[in-house]
Amino acid sequence: MLTELLQGIEAGGFLVIQDSCSYSGRHLLKSFINAALNRAEVVHVLGFDVSEEELKDGLRTSDTQRLHIHSAYTDPLGWTERPAFTVHQFRLEDLTDLVKQTPHPKPATLIIDSLSWILRHVTPPAVCKTLHQLRKGGAVRAVIGLLHADMHQRGTVGSVCHLATSLIAVAPGAKGDEAVAKITKRSKFRKVMQDEEIFSLNGDFTVTIHSKRSNPEQNWNDAEEEQVDPTAELTFNLRLSDSELEAKKKLMLPFVFSKEKLATLSQPAFLK
Amino acid sequence: MFTELNSILNASPDSFTQGEFILVSDRQSDASFLIHHFLSFYLRARCRVCFLGLVQSFCHYNAVGQRLGVSLTQAKEKGQLIFLEGLKESLSILIPHENNTEHQAMNFLRDPAVGLRSLYEFVRSGLTGSGSSEEGAEEWGPPVLLVDDLSVLLSLGVGTGAVLDFSHYCRATACSQLQGNMVMLVRCNGDEEEDGDEGSEWLLKGLSHQCSLALHVQGLPTGYCKDIHGQVEVCWRMRQGDGQHTQKKLFQYKVHDKGASFFARGTSSAVL
Repeated sequence: MLTELLQGIEAGGFLVIQDSCSYSGRHLLKSFINAALNRAEVVHVLGFDVSEEELKDGLRTSDTQRLHIHSAYTDPLGWTERPAFTVHQFRLEDLTDLVKQTPHPKPATLIIDSLSWILRHVTPPAVCKTLHQLRKGGAVRAVIGLLHADMHQRGTVGSVCHLATSLIAVAPGAKGDEAVAKITKRSKFRKVMQDEEIFSLNGDFTVTIHSKRSNPEQNWNDAEEEQVDPTAELTFNLRLSDSELEAKKKLMLPFVFSKEKLATLSQPAFLK
Repeated sequence: MFTELNSILNASPDSFTQGEFILVSDRQSDASFLIHHFLSFYLRARCRVCFLGLVQSFCHYNAVGQRLGVSLTQAKEKGQLIFLEGLKESLSILIPHENNTEHQAMNFLRDPAVGLRSLYEFVRSGLTGSGSSEEGAEEWGPPVLLVDDLSVLLSLGVGTGAVLDFSHYCRATACSQLQGNMVMLVRCNGDEEEDGDEGSEWLLKGLSHQCSLALHVQGLPTGYCKDIHGQVEVCWRMRQGDGQHTQKKLFQYKVHDKGASFFARGTSSAVL
């Protein structure tokens, strides 16, 4: 499914690459940038985390006509006098202006490196609102964002990921340069597909898929419907069979006064 | 300067990677010996060093430096070392004198909510060497910023987000703009799982995403040992070109009077 996503995200799509400090998702993000450039798409990169040089390293920078890097790295908070783009400008109007600075007939793909920087300074509802407006607004074709999941509370990560049409969570693999990608993809009809793939990145940021998990395509909805029988492994019977029921009826329990017992007890020898 | 550590990190005062952010962290252990190593290393490499000593006095760092073969007093006189003595500076902020014309680097003490912009201004002027360009002054190599340690800022009431902003700006200036290096120490108490101190854990994660090399010092899992003082995990991140993302190595160490020895696990001379 990773190859499928690299081949193109649907218009209005929002892809989140979720990483942690044990494995950086930036290299996979670069794979997506290169893949988009290969498809002759216009790419705008909004960079907070790393410098423009570091971001450009390994990218197809020959496509200067279609690759536009807006570096907010040097001054993301406006501490110096001439900030290029500050984190507080993360609003629909400013982002649309940014993308439209370089007019191009086709709508562009917006890459955000990273959403974590923005989420540290802008409230999660405001970020989600902007992302939603971007998807629906039409100024950009699709949005791809990097999110350092271990830097935020679970609720914040959840609300951003909930907005995404596709989510790739990367983690280190068992072998040296391998990594595991857990992919969740929501189709237009809200069908949810999940997949887990082991991949490695080559020097030119192309992706090699090594293996898929044994149960590759599992539908979340199916998983919810599939209920486990709670009576499957009981150590006792819930109901009695007919013969057992009969045996139970025949059984005389102590301290239950049958007619015979009562007769015996009421004999004069006992009453004395 | 520890030669064994230099060979592990593949660096020497004559040749070392520029533009690196080295994160030194410790957990239930003391990693300050590494700060002394890097201080003496960069002074020997004839770098211009800006040192934020927030934990100890200048005399302390000078005394340790002399054991490692560098004189901080001389370096300061020559203009190679710019030293911010946090303990003294904080006192002059808290008890202002009339004739006190000290810089306002520690202004955040009055109101931690304002953030660390003034401290960053001090670092920037220290690294770029503005105001000390006297004629005939010696030329120094790439600028280096050393901080001992960032966790103190949290104790002084500064928010984790503000410290991360500060480190981001320092990295943008020291590593990217000036092609120098940066070394920062962070202390974590308690176990990783326990979430003992949320602020410093979050800070460590945030800095781990920013750094290019991480040295994590911790005590031995088996407890105190006279001949092995602990273990240090060396983690290289974002190695470009070879497709490798993170490479980790674990060493055990022993700190001596005038240095430290590093060895692979289980190969201490006391064991073999």
